[in-house]
Amino acid sequence: MKRNSPLKNLHQTGLYGNYKNQNENDLLVIREITNLKIFQIVQYKSSTLNIDSLKLDGLSFPVHAGFVEASDTTRVQWNAPNTWIIISSNENIIDDIIKNFHENDFAITDQSHSRAIIQIEGKKALDVIKKGSPLNLNDFKKNNCANSIYHGITISIDMLDDDLNKFNIMALRSFTGSFHHAITDAALEFGYKGL
Amino acid sequence: MLEIRCPYCGNRSQNEFAYGGDATIKRPELNTEVTDQEWDNFVYYRKNPRGNHLELWHHISGCRQWFKVHRNTATHEILKTLEMKENL
Repeated sequence: MKRNSPLKNLHQTGLYGNYKNQNENDLLVIREITNLKIFQIVQYKSSTLNIDSLKLDGLSFPVHAGFVEASDTTRVQWNAPNTWIIISSNENIIDDIIKNFHENDFAITDQSHSRAIIQIEGKKALDVIKKGSPLNLNDFKKNNCANSIYHGITISIDMLDDDLNKFNIMALRSFTGSFHHAITDAALEFGYKGL
Repeated sequence: MLEIRCPYCGNRSQNEFAYGGDATIKRPELNTEVTDQEWDNFVYYRKNPRGNHLELWHHISGCRQWFKVHRNTATHEILKTLEMKENL
């Protein structure tokens, strides 16, 4: 089922802010990421199952805070102790989850409709995040993630690429308007391209 | 602004946390006779010390875990943070 974009009536394409006298290829890029499957998987306290023995889409589950296991289609984020967020472009990922993660050991929640994801990419992406979040991003590397806040909005930051400075930032859908406004407002200083 | 070390996520800004009160308070045992005074003490009375204090904090914008913080209320120095199952 196609999901309604949370930013459909907000996010616009084009050049904005201080983009003049800059090479368009060097500009910060802001885009909405839609049509992904998002699941939260929580292992019950009573479960004695060793999470190392489980794989999803060929990916193991990170047991250390702030790490992501990633393939071309799926990302498994550490979210909290015994809690992971699965973000996947594989429409049938739920079949794999149900097959591998038994309901006696895991609580599985579909959050595909309840999150908005904004992707920012470019040299100034870190500066845009730093303008609104107290998270220390100096040691952030590819496939690191963290939950934090952005202008008071709870967010999840996932670094997709440290060469391109590419981040997916996820917030609750009901905060989409304020979240998008805060991100784009912070980006105006540097100039950005909305895609 | 405090920097608090979440036992699960590491050092984070106080903005991500919510204070949860005195960590030394214990609820009266279930299925036992509780006097009004004991219930009053549990619900309302707090020591509010000047100095070292064991507190509950919630990493509400992070991993959403509760944990204990041993903090000096005069200097705001955080001496130690512990998971809920740990003791000082």
